[in-house]
Amino acid sequence: MRRKMSIVLSVAALALPAANAAAALSTTNASKKVVTKKLAGATEQANRWGTVQVTVTVRLTTTGQKTTHKYEDVSGSYSYHTDRSQFIMSQSLPILREEFLQGQSPQVQMVSGATYTSEAFAQSLQSALSKL
Amino acid sequence: MAATVEHVMGMPILVDVRDDVDLLVLEPLWAWFRWVDATFSTYKDDSEISRLGRGELELGAADPAVQYVLARCETLRRETRGYFDVQAAGLLDPSGYVKGWAVDRGVALLEAAGLRNFAVNAGGDIWLAGGALPDFDWRVGIEHPHLPDSVAAVVQVRDGAVATSGAYARGDHVLDPHTGEAPADLVSVTVTGPDLGVADAYATAAFAMGARGPGWTAHLRGRYEALTILADGRVLSTAGFPRAAL
Repeated sequence: MRRKMSIVLSVAALALPAANAAAALSTTNASKKVVTKKLAGATEQANRWGTVQVTVTVRLTTTGQKTTHKYEDVSGSYSYHTDRSQFIMSQSLPILREEFLQGQSPQVQMVSGATYTSEAFAQSLQSALSKL
Repeated sequence: MAATVEHVMGMPILVDVRDDVDLLVLEPLWAWFRWVDATFSTYKDDSEISRLGRGELELGAADPAVQYVLARCETLRRETRGYFDVQAAGLLDPSGYVKGWAVDRGVALLEAAGLRNFAVNAGGDIWLAGGALPDFDWRVGIEHPHLPDSVAAVVQVRDGAVATSGAYARGDHVLDPHTGEAPADLVSVTVTGPDLGVADAYATAAFAMGARGPGWTAHLRGRYEALTILADGRVLSTAGFPRAAL
């Protein structure tokens, strides 16, 4: 549920006007231009308990007429939530970095997890092996 | 460059070797794991751990490796305020340390045989040696709690350990030794560091701590770092956790 919400907000943040955008890196050669932008979304009502603000770092590669983008980082902050969450945060901040759980499928060689006899783990093994 | 999987110590163990060697070089490793299983398994009635648990074997008469492991577990129990406890489920069960320790010792065997770039993945707890040639570093995904084809984060490691404890599809298998119940607030804790046995014990302890786990990991010393996935979908990581750019 929360994960779905954060993805929606990430996309919303990207669609914002570039008021908060800062071009961090720009390289140009004959036909290709790469720009890395950091975009802060508006503070949104996440649900009845609190608000959320998402920051997205995205790399835009322009080749001729075509621009592709790749997300490099998504982070966020929120005013939060249940008593239980407040308790965890009071135990943890400011030493820990907080972000949202995301689902990604980058290239990895191994998967670390707790489901060592599960189907998911067997599949991870299989996919790790198939990349060799 | 070759990878192989064997089912030993009750789990699949994957060894991915990036050096140019014959996989026969792994034979001493598999023999070592089989010995560890025969000696430490809680599923084998005649293992030394089972006999110790039933009071049929005196600790002083046990194999020196068994004495060493149980002494290490006692140190870890004190270091983790009792949250890593080989008696957590009532019976003597040092599996939470033995798996990582067995890999650490196995890695020494492979290094003595001249291997430099390889990974050993024992049921999701991993040692990474050198690099994933031709890549400079090993990239390890942390299992996503809901999406089987995705990972929640990527860590980048050279010569280090990655261990994860948690409640994924397999169901609750870490209990809070103080309450005997499964912690509710956390999905998983991943710990990286210089020793897989210790990383695994810390991950198990931090998970058993529940809501207090993330705060506890923030104070780990000795180059151990942690990433915790909370049940509400937040991810908390210590300042030095080796996150890879995506």
